[in-house]
Amino acid sequence: MAYKPQYGPGTSIVAENRRKYMDPAHKLEKIRDVTDEDLVLIMGHRAPGSAYPTAHPPLAEQQEPACPVRKMVTPTDGAKAGDRVRYIQFADSMFNAPSQPYERTYLEAYRFRGIDPGTLSGRQIIECRERDLEKYAKDLVNTELFDPARCGIRGATVHGHSLRLAEDGMMFDMLQRCILDKKAGVVKYVKNQIGEPLDKEVKVGKPMDEKWLKAHTTIFHSLVGVPFRDDKEYVEYTQRIHSLRTKYGFMPTE
Amino acid sequence: MAKIERSQKLFLKALKEKFAEDPQSEKTVFAREGLKQSARKKEFIEAGKKMEMSRGISMYDPVRCHLGGIPLGQRQLMTYEVSGTGVFVEGDDLHFVNNAAMQQMWDDIRRTIIVNMDLAHQTLQKRLGKEVTPETINEYLHVLNHAMPGAAVVQEHMVETHPGLVDDCYCKVFTGDDEMADDLEPQFVLNIDKLFPAKQAAAMKAAVGKSLWQAVHIPTIVSRTCDGGTTSRWSAMQLGMSFIGAYRMCAGEAAVADLAFAAKHAGVIQMADILPARRARGPNEPGGIKFGNFADMIQTDRKYPNDPARCSLEIVGAGTMLFDQIWLGSYMSGGVGFTQYATAAYTDNILDEYTYYGMDYIKDKYKVNWQNPSEKDRVKPTQEIVNDIATEVTLNAMEQYEQFPTLMEDHFGGSQRAGVIAAASGLSVGIATGNSNAGLNGWYLSMLLHKEGWSRLGFFGYDLQDQCGSTNSLSVRPDEGAVGELRGPNYPNYAMNVGHQGEYAAIVGSAHLGRGDAWSLSPLIKICFSDPSLKFDFAEPRREFAKGAIREFMPAGERSLIIPAR
Repeated sequence: MAYKPQYGPGTSIVAENRRKYMDPAHKLEKIRDVTDEDLVLIMGHRAPGSAYPTAHPPLAEQQEPACPVRKMVTPTDGAKAGDRVRYIQFADSMFNAPSQPYERTYLEAYRFRGIDPGTLSGRQIIECRERDLEKYAKDLVNTELFDPARCGIRGATVHGHSLRLAEDGMMFDMLQRCILDKKAGVVKYVKNQIGEPLDKEVKVGKPMDEKWLKAHTTIFHSLVGVPFRDDKEYVEYTQRIHSLRTKYGFMPTE
Repeated sequence: MAKIERSQKLFLKALKEKFAEDPQSEKTVFAREGLKQSARKKEFIEAGKKMEMSRGISMYDPVRCHLGGIPLGQRQLMTYEVSGTGVFVEGDDLHFVNNAAMQQMWDDIRRTIIVNMDLAHQTLQKRLGKEVTPETINEYLHVLNHAMPGAAVVQEHMVETHPGLVDDCYCKVFTGDDEMADDLEPQFVLNIDKLFPAKQAAAMKAAVGKSLWQAVHIPTIVSRTCDGGTTSRWSAMQLGMSFIGAYRMCAGEAAVADLAFAAKHAGVIQMADILPARRARGPNEPGGIKFGNFADMIQTDRKYPNDPARCSLEIVGAGTMLFDQIWLGSYMSGGVGFTQYATAAYTDNILDEYTYYGMDYIKDKYKVNWQNPSEKDRVKPTQEIVNDIATEVTLNAMEQYEQFPTLMEDHFGGSQRAGVIAAASGLSVGIATGNSNAGLNGWYLSMLLHKEGWSRLGFFGYDLQDQCGSTNSLSVRPDEGAVGELRGPNYPNYAMNVGHQGEYAAIVGSAHLGRGDAWSLSPLIKICFSDPSLKFDFAEPRREFAKGAIREFMPAGERSLIIPAR
């Protein structure tokens, strides 16, 4: 019988969103259109239009050892070209940001190839070959996975995920990389992800409203969203995993 | 699980003191006031300038050096209430470098060694035919308390240490033999009956029996200049010389080797085991302290025998300070970041609130009379019950963070929250069941629930330790596990993660505190640290840390006698 991923338990909208975002068969809803050039500016790894710096010659030009694994795995475009490995890192507010750290890692693992995600409490990083990264970053920023006010693109000094929101609804950022243009109602990046000032502002769109956030978030929250306690199936499933691991190690059978 | 009502919120006083806004407000105005918010940071700037002038090398310059000109304090720089004390302190004052009480707590552990006297007495009596009586023991102890700080007893011409520098050094003895204890001079005796509640005292005396043990504390200044491995050596040398002097032995006779062997090896209880070569530490260094022994060092239950929760919280405070701030934060890692993690567990009464919620829950649902520690009414540690208690305590703690956004902002890092939530869960299970491994198992379920609920946990390290913890919390195979009492900071999966080790020690202790046991692992260590003559009061670690933070704690090992006056 072929393996069919279940993407996790739960009866709540939070659980449903988690499954949806992880499932590659679900087409992520496109909400904004940040251009390739603007994303390159925010990430700050290279100047827009410049050639991709390389870590090694293109695979076609270098002597590859006879290796069955290399024959099985088709290289990504970035690996083929010998691109550097670079990153994009997100901080996500606990006030109903659509993506949250582990959810990001899981969905990226299902949807993208050749990635190295890292998951912490206040940030989540994905590293991969540069041209692959730029492709993946578009999905991560332009779709329902992102909210301009509650998700931040931050390379360093990331903290904000657990803090109260600013009076304008923005997640705290010590470096104020992005600010809300109150007149236009649009969030714009004035610094790149490690806090270097940008030559031009990059607009990433309007913050989504509370109703949308609550409907799209992947975090349980008893004050502003769905209490974890209310998703009994999810809690019981976690208890079950724990019990089976306790009794049978990592090969649980009942 | 089913939520219970608990109107008291122990953390509210701190939140109201720390934040201008309603603790339940979701929004704030980030004033970005920088360093000027903090009296201590301003003091640092002033002191930095002064030091720069005197040494001619640049120093503390946060306005220029922090993030290319953006200083700390873009949000509110908070003070912290040391839990259970009502004392508010600056976060900086809880770094061990800035806190003399924290240093002294570790000094008092590192400079301590327990040495059996029976072996030496047998050598004197059987091998040398000498008489050993209470009078000779008193005389020996008098000689020893002269010699241990660094004075000569046999030699004719010898350098010695200044008593004013080593006044914290001494030796007392203890035994389970009342008759023997009565015959010894009270100044030299740890009186178990006076120091412990009757039930615990009786248990300890029965465990110690007629053996006589020396609790030796070498000078703080010595163990600071050398290391923990020095403690047994310094102690053994002075013990040997004191025996020679007090019992009129020949200084070079072969029997001295027996005394030395007993004092250095056969009769020695180190506070911590030697670590593997890759850790490059001798005995009596923090990484080798067994959690059960650490739980025994903390003495709160002598003072508050009916509050196992409070006693466990004191172990958490002391443990996170030693294992996170000093061991992992400095011995193993370096830098200053670990303090911010560790203090979360003993400030603002947050862990206290979550733990007392657990106490209310186990009383309400399982009828555990937690304020009357006893092995009789503990709950059977079935998986179902462990899961139930840990789940409820975890969900409640998560909800508190959610309902009070300032609380979440207080514990702004996931590792802080994970450690605190799991600790409350582990302590509640430990106290309810009287089983330390059940407590640890509750900790690991808490971690899984936390991760699933918020889709985040702590830093990378939590991916290993806390997500495979379920599988090893009931394993006792070598290299894979041990009962909690015998685990320690160097247990394979525990060796790298801040925010765990002090809590584990407390979970171990909580099981025994819940049962009303006299000790967790070692009655000898429990008795040794009950000594009121120690510089650090091991019954009230958090209060001592608060005293250190407000600069009211007087440590040992000061050098002012031998340096120019300032």
